[in-house]
Amino acid sequence: MKQASLPLALAASALLAGCVQIQAPDKPIEINLNVNIKQEVVLTLKKDAEDLVNNNPELFPQ
Amino acid sequence: MTLSRKTLALAGAAVLVVGAAGIAYAQSAGAVSAALSSGEVGEQADGYLGFRSTPSGELRDEVDAINIKRRDVYTKLATQRGVTVRDVAVTVGCETLQKRVAIGRSYLLTDGVWRTKDEDPIALPDYCVQ
Repeated sequence: MKQASLPLALAASALLAGCVQIQAPDKPIEINLNVNIKQEVVLTLKKDAEDLVNNNPELFPQ
Repeated sequence: MTLSRKTLALAGAAVLVVGAAGIAYAQSAGAVSAALSSGEVGEQADGYLGFRSTPSGELRDEVDAINIKRRDVYTKLATQRGVTVRDVAVTVGCETLQKRVAIGRSYLLTDGVWRTKDEDPIALPDYCVQ
């Protein structure tokens, strides 16, 4: 039983290895994460911010 | 036509009440509005009002009061959405710079330089979504 476990493990790892696909990205990876995250937050909050300004005219004098 | 006197009196009273409220509102917002018109006070990219030149004590108090109230509503929204107060504030900054700065008025971008709005749209910070 002990001897059989090695090829078994090898076979299992070979199977698993087949599942993991590593592909090189088409475009260079952008490292400017800070700006990207901010933009995403700004995008999700944009409508809320519009409403906030419109609903509190006394806080946004013209 | 017999009703008209009573109606007129009521209408007159209503006008007085609305007028008085309007004057009170105009007085509180008046100094800040005037300072916005003259360019002494302007919108900042950080979502708050700021001073382009050194203000009088009274003007400073009024602008500070507005900024404190702004921070309150920013904080409420930030809590609701699970983001930071600064996230909300800079998003409002994008909004005010984009839509609420009239020609001739002052505004402050992230580089810390006060500019005067001309006929061109403001060059918004990169993170602003248009």
